Amino acid sequence: MKPLRLALAAVMLLGLAACADEGWNGKSIEGLMPELEFELTAETGETVTESVFAGRPVAMYFGFTHCPDICPTTLARLVAAVRRLPEPMQEELQLAFVSVDPQRDGTQQLADYTDAFSDRMLGLTGTQRQLKALTRRYRTTYGYEDERSDGSYNVSHSSAIFVFDAAGEPQLMLLDSLGVAEIAADLEKLLARRAENADNA
Amino acid sequence: MKILSGVVLVIVLLAGAIWWVADMQPAEPIEIDNPRVRLVPGGAPMAGYFTLANHTDSPVRLVSASSEAFGHVMIHRTVVSADGSARMAHQDDGVLVGAGETVAFEPKGLHLMLMRARRELEVGEAVEIVLGFEGIEPAERTVIFTVVPVTSS
Repeated sequence: MKPLRLALAAVMLLGLAACADEGWNGKSIEGLMPELEFELTAETGETVTESVFAGRPVAMYFGFTHCPDICPTTLARLVAAVRRLPEPMQEELQLAFVSVDPQRDGTQQLADYTDAFSDRMLGLTGTQRQLKALTRRYRTTYGYEDERSDGSYNVSHSSAIFVFDAAGEPQLMLLDSLGVAEIAADLEKLLARRAENADNA
Repeated sequence: MKILSGVVLVIVLLAGAIWWVADMQPAEPIEIDNPRVRLVPGGAPMAGYFTLANHTDSPVRLVSASSEAFGHVMIHRTVVSADGSARMAHQDDGVLVGAGETVAFEPKGLHLMLMRARRELEVGEAVEIVLGFEGIEPAERTVIFTVVPVTSS
């Protein structure tokens, strides 16, 4: 009986280890999606590509500024998580907010919005074609609901934060259910791995 | 005799105390705790959060919200579907709070969507929002919300 139990326990442990997703709190997307590539308009008004991040790791969120609840909540958590990182890591990570609502989110609106969260957060938006190309690349969608009588409308969008490494390779999807400590742990692990690679090189 | 009158006095006092406690109504039929508005820059809508406790023995329904400080206020709930897509659902029937229950308006859930701020708000400022109810009298309550930073929870 005992050896059987041990074997069962071993199988269960193996199963658990596989489910734990290499110890990430978020969902690993390494190797599952293509590398970062886009052409968008930055909050400065300039047309930019992924090279705007200058080879730094990026945490990217798709939202819109007329989103009173989940967007500020998620961005605030991300910024709070970054503040928990060791100073050099904080400086290293680039934050990006991609508005999927270009009709209302002009460059000034984007700049005001991202500045309220962090001076390391870059606001981006683009044409529908540019935004669709980027969101499709990461298998996410956005859409517009019917206008209300006052002309305002609601936008559906992804609730996850996408994290890319310095080479633009997708690494993690931080789901909206994660708290500040869980996000910070994942970011620290990811950035530490990068530092290790740099040491080995 | 002295002992007997003492006992009678104690009994009378106890009975009186029990009658008094039983007759006490909760000071307010509903209680609104921690009302706050999370400041969003650039004229975009903001969210209002609070907890709403119903101390009565019948259901109470929040049916409306309005404010001098905003052009329009809606009662919304953020819904995240299984595929991770987030949207806001307008609460057409308001929000029902069962007898003795408490409902939280909190980030990523129920919230007041405060649209078209009529003036620039500042952190720490007080903003009046009138909440309209069914099931209590008077039906309208003016609640003082505090403006908090966008990075607060």
